[in-house]
Amino acid sequence: MTEPLVCALRVSRRFGEVEALAPTDFELMPAETVALVGPNGAGKSTLLSILAGALEPSEGSVEVRVRVGWVPQRPAHYARLTPRENLELFARLEGVPDAAQAAAALLERFGLPPGPRPSGELSVGNRQRLNVALSLLGEPRVLLLDEPTASLDPGQRRRVWDVVNALHGEGGAVCFATQYVEEVTDHADRVVVLQDGRVVFAGEASSFEAEGVFD
Amino acid sequence: MLLRKDLRVLWRSPLLLGALLAYPIVIALLVGLVAGYASAKPRVAFVDEDHLPPVVAVGGHRFHLQTVINDVAKQVTLVRLNPKEAARELADGKVVATITVPPGFLGDLETTTKSPSLVLRTGTGGLTPRVTQQMQALVYQLNQKLQAGYISANLVFVRLILHGGKGSFLGQKFDLLGLDGTQKELAALPPSKRVAVIQHFVQVARAGLAQTGAALRATANPITLVQPKAHGRTWVLSAQVQSYGIALTVTFLALMLAAGAAAAEKDEGTIGRLRRGLVSFGQLVWAKVALAAVVGLVLGAAIAVVFGIVVEAAGVTGGEPWGRLPLLLVGVALAGAVVGSVGTLLGALAREARTASLLAVLVVLPVIFLGLVPRGALGLAYWLSLFLPFTHAVRWFGAALYDTSPWRTLGVETAWLLVLGAVYGLLARVAMRRLAA
Repeated sequence: MTEPLVCALRVSRRFGEVEALAPTDFELMPAETVALVGPNGAGKSTLLSILAGALEPSEGSVEVRVRVGWVPQRPAHYARLTPRENLELFARLEGVPDAAQAAAALLERFGLPPGPRPSGELSVGNRQRLNVALSLLGEPRVLLLDEPTASLDPGQRRRVWDVVNALHGEGGAVCFATQYVEEVTDHADRVVVLQDGRVVFAGEASSFEAEGVFD
Repeated sequence: MLLRKDLRVLWRSPLLLGALLAYPIVIALLVGLVAGYASAKPRVAFVDEDHLPPVVAVGGHRFHLQTVINDVAKQVTLVRLNPKEAARELADGKVVATITVPPGFLGDLETTTKSPSLVLRTGTGGLTPRVTQQMQALVYQLNQKLQAGYISANLVFVRLILHGGKGSFLGQKFDLLGLDGTQKELAALPPSKRVAVIQHFVQVARAGLAQTGAALRATANPITLVQPKAHGRTWVLSAQVQSYGIALTVTFLALMLAAGAAAAEKDEGTIGRLRRGLVSFGQLVWAKVALAAVVGLVLGAAIAVVFGIVVEAAGVTGGEPWGRLPLLLVGVALAGAVVGSVGTLLGALAREARTASLLAVLVVLPVIFLGLVPRGALGLAYWLSLFLPFTHAVRWFGAALYDTSPWRTLGVETAWLLVLGAVYGLLARVAMRRLAA
């Protein structure tokens, strides 16, 4: 039997009195693409952050068997460093053997400016692309994306999905949060709908009905 | 890696870097000016209601009174004002005190029938106790000068009694035989028991009166303070000022930098990335502490070098600016690191760079001023300052710069700094964990 690449058991998260995520089970199988869907504040980002190891769950546990790449909702990089410097820094921290080469490859792959311009001065689209590029350092088998295309134009969206689909094609697994119905229907195998921190639907993408989910 | 990143980020923020470098230096200068003002001459009004003549004769001695007053009042600036002006300026705070020579002062002084008085009026400012002390010192020194005059005048009569001659007292002139003349007269008389008794008295009286001058001076001033001219550094170039300047600058810089850098990890969203097994919270705290230590070290070294150059260029003696520089820099790095741990704690608590900067400014000034409060002035401030790194940094730098044998102080202060650094570092680690959540 195939083992899940990422497995969360009864994970929950509270922020003070607010329960952002009720106890939730989640599995991500190899070569699977899962869409997390729900209105703002439904708990999508919280679940993804917990799966990525960026946030400790209040309860429950997460088991991760492979390297995971994470694209947070808000671009997370150093604004005063150039895209190349950001990529090289995080490549070194990830333990990538040739950080400079890995950075150069990602710069080219995402069409990011290689010059001395600080990342904070890039366009919103470029910053988001850098955000995605950073998640691919270390060649992860699992990609967790939190609304990766929210601020991108159609061309940039397509480019991001090309990268994601390439990873998927190599047997990697993808879990992404989105508010775009067409992204669910175009890219997801499975859908998990969250509302008020609870899973209200989990099933095949073909059986997903978007009506009422984003209200 | 994170330290290199933080240094690079700092280097690319020239405005921030400039402000961080300039601000503490400006504060250090302002503190220096305030401290300097505390030792500057206060302005005191001199009101002469008795219309003192330029020269006063007391006990047969002539005094140029203003010169005497100026000479003894070196700690204040005396300004001659009329009574109304003096009262107004005292009320306005333009002068911190008025000293008045009341009518009849000179008469009392010349006749010595009663002690003449000077009237001191002071304002209510913080300088009042100091000015009162200085005026008391002025009167004391005036008394000393007058005493010397009186003693000299008295000794004129003693000399007349001893050696004889012409003299005057209260306007009456006289011609005195004196003990010398008496002895001669007695020698010319036929020897007898009565003459021998008188001769013995004259001998004893002559011997006793010969010591009168020394005895009068000794009883007038049982203890005198001798102050030889010192040839050390001036106050501005003292090692104490240097240690305060470096401590203040390093504290300011390290606290602000570490707080800003810690909070920026949250602002830029990178703390989430880092905590995914890339960097532990401890390493993250270490990176900020190291940033504070490195930048503090560079700035501290720059100040020490500039100070040394000024000391050398001015040809100031009494200090060794270079010999203890390596030792000083060890302390600067240590203090920078410990202050950096406090800054990291603040940054993590603030959770946002702008709030962290504001919080750091709000915290750094009390931290510094608590360390400047003398132990005797406010006990609570002293005890609080013990748990903050600034006081220990100042003592460390002071011992490193000018203690002949600094090792005991350095050992104690190093222990304090290490313990404080460990405590604040642990708290910063806990706060970082909260920041990441």
